[in-house]
Amino acid sequence: MSNIGDLQSLASSIAAVTSPFRNYLHDLYEKYRSLNEGTVADYIPELALAKPEWFGICIVTPEGQVFEVGDCDRLFTIQSISKAFVFGLALEDHGREYVNSKVSVEPTGEAFNSIVLDEATNRPYNPMVNAGAIATADLINGQNSTERLKRLLEMFKRYTGREHDINVPVFLSEKATGYRNRAMAYLMLNFGMVSNKIDETLDLYFQQCSILVNAKDLAMMAATLANGGVNPVTHERAIDERYVQDVISVMLTCGMYDASGEWAYRVGMPAKSGVGGGILAVVPGKLGIGTFSPPLDAKGNSVRGIRVCEDLSTDFGLHLFNVAKPERNLQEWIAGGEGINDW
Amino acid sequence: MPKVVSIHSYRGGTGKSNFTANLATTAAALGNRVGVVDTDVPSPGIHNLFGLEPEQMGKTLNSYLWGESSIEDAAYDVSDNVGIEGAGKLFLVPSSVKADDIARILKDGYDVRLMNDGFRSLVKALQLDYLFIDTHPGLSKETFLSIAISHVLLLILRPDKQDYQGTAVVMDVARQLNVRKMLLVINKAHSKLNPDALKQKVEETYAETVAGLFPLSEDIVQLASEGVFCVKYPDHPVSQEFRKVAQQIAEV
Repeated sequence: MSNIGDLQSLASSIAAVTSPFRNYLHDLYEKYRSLNEGTVADYIPELALAKPEWFGICIVTPEGQVFEVGDCDRLFTIQSISKAFVFGLALEDHGREYVNSKVSVEPTGEAFNSIVLDEATNRPYNPMVNAGAIATADLINGQNSTERLKRLLEMFKRYTGREHDINVPVFLSEKATGYRNRAMAYLMLNFGMVSNKIDETLDLYFQQCSILVNAKDLAMMAATLANGGVNPVTHERAIDERYVQDVISVMLTCGMYDASGEWAYRVGMPAKSGVGGGILAVVPGKLGIGTFSPPLDAKGNSVRGIRVCEDLSTDFGLHLFNVAKPERNLQEWIAGGEGINDW
Repeated sequence: MPKVVSIHSYRGGTGKSNFTANLATTAAALGNRVGVVDTDVPSPGIHNLFGLEPEQMGKTLNSYLWGESSIEDAAYDVSDNVGIEGAGKLFLVPSSVKADDIARILKDGYDVRLMNDGFRSLVKALQLDYLFIDTHPGLSKETFLSIAISHVLLLILRPDKQDYQGTAVVMDVARQLNVRKMLLVINKAHSKLNPDALKQKVEETYAETVAGLFPLSEDIVQLASEGVFCVKYPDHPVSQEFRKVAQQIAEV
């Protein structure tokens, strides 16, 4: 019997390679690999080492099918993408009401590193800007810094299905140069919005940003959210299903820095980007998308990643509010069929 | 829409490469732009039939799979070598015959996704009407891939018990991979066998169409070694049978 299982599993892995949907992704990859716009983040030397030509697109379905093109195994630091997931863990630790009392969910329209708090409540605007992310990291439970970090890493493991390491040079550089983040933390301490274990919380924040992931991890994390919080391959629950909507909705309104409004309008997929070059996008119930390409636009979002998400949204009608019949039917392209001309 | 045709047999010695060369040449002679990829990386050979000598090969399929070249750069126009005239063109992407290269690809393997992407790039770059994939006998990663992407899978078998069993195995795999169309070809049929009865028996056994039946003949073996048979002897019954198979593929 095991032979039949092996045959099926080999057939399914081959099907993922030859699926019209993967062929479509390969065409997207070819279309945008020559796009030489944007600049690689260089505010710390470790990030500047990234090569502009690195490019990977990975998509995972809620059924656990994985479609990969390009550099999907190359590791990079997760950076701001971590913020959405740490927000989810804070919600699990404290519940919605308490977390909302510490961090608002209002888009700022300001840059991610702006030093601005809501004047009426002194709360940082949302968990996706640095101030809000630091306040969120402060909420992560644990006896000490080791346990808090361990809980974060275990959470990411539930989402991706594999162990994660921290890029120590990136962490140390962020820590050594993070004056602005330190200033924000003290400003929030001044208003009583964060606890007084500032150094420990900032370390945790810099560590969460330095976690190493690849495009496949991002796609798996996105697919886990798209699948109601359960990893579609390991079938392990990564987040309480009640809070999936919290994470996804904040991604939609605040996930793409100060380009979030235009992103929601044009692409309509809840997404989170990081200065390491990653973009993670969720199409609830349908797809998890992970892209990796280090050159960033002026707002800090990966140039190729944006284009890939735009095309996917348009071609398959994946905008959350789309009701028109798309040019291509997603299920047909994934399953493959007679009528599809992907040659 | 371009058509991808894989030619496969479960066991070696069925005349697969010879058949592929003749069928591809027949399709090119009918005015089509045709590509042939030799994915038989462990034991490449079809280049001989197209008159491409190892010393003329710069880039090969191996170079592409190792990221050293594009697949188009490993494609050789062999139309003149086989005597294609008119609008038709015939291109070959050979596998390397260097022992070191074969050892390297067997030892290190390669990313099967690259093979899939390469087939598509080749079809686009050379504007092919047909892509024929000559495979390694038996079941392997590249066999699975070529079966899965093919519009038509041609299975070659000889009328003997070992081939009958092996062909059934390949057909199981092909159905698992949702192959779009399967056609059977009987090769090396002994002259004592009744062709119609043989064809009927095979079709009943496998519930698939026999697209062609080719006799076992020393004459053909001898003539075939000199190049592509169907160009040299276009009026021979065997060449007519190739045109019949090409016609059935065109109608898929």
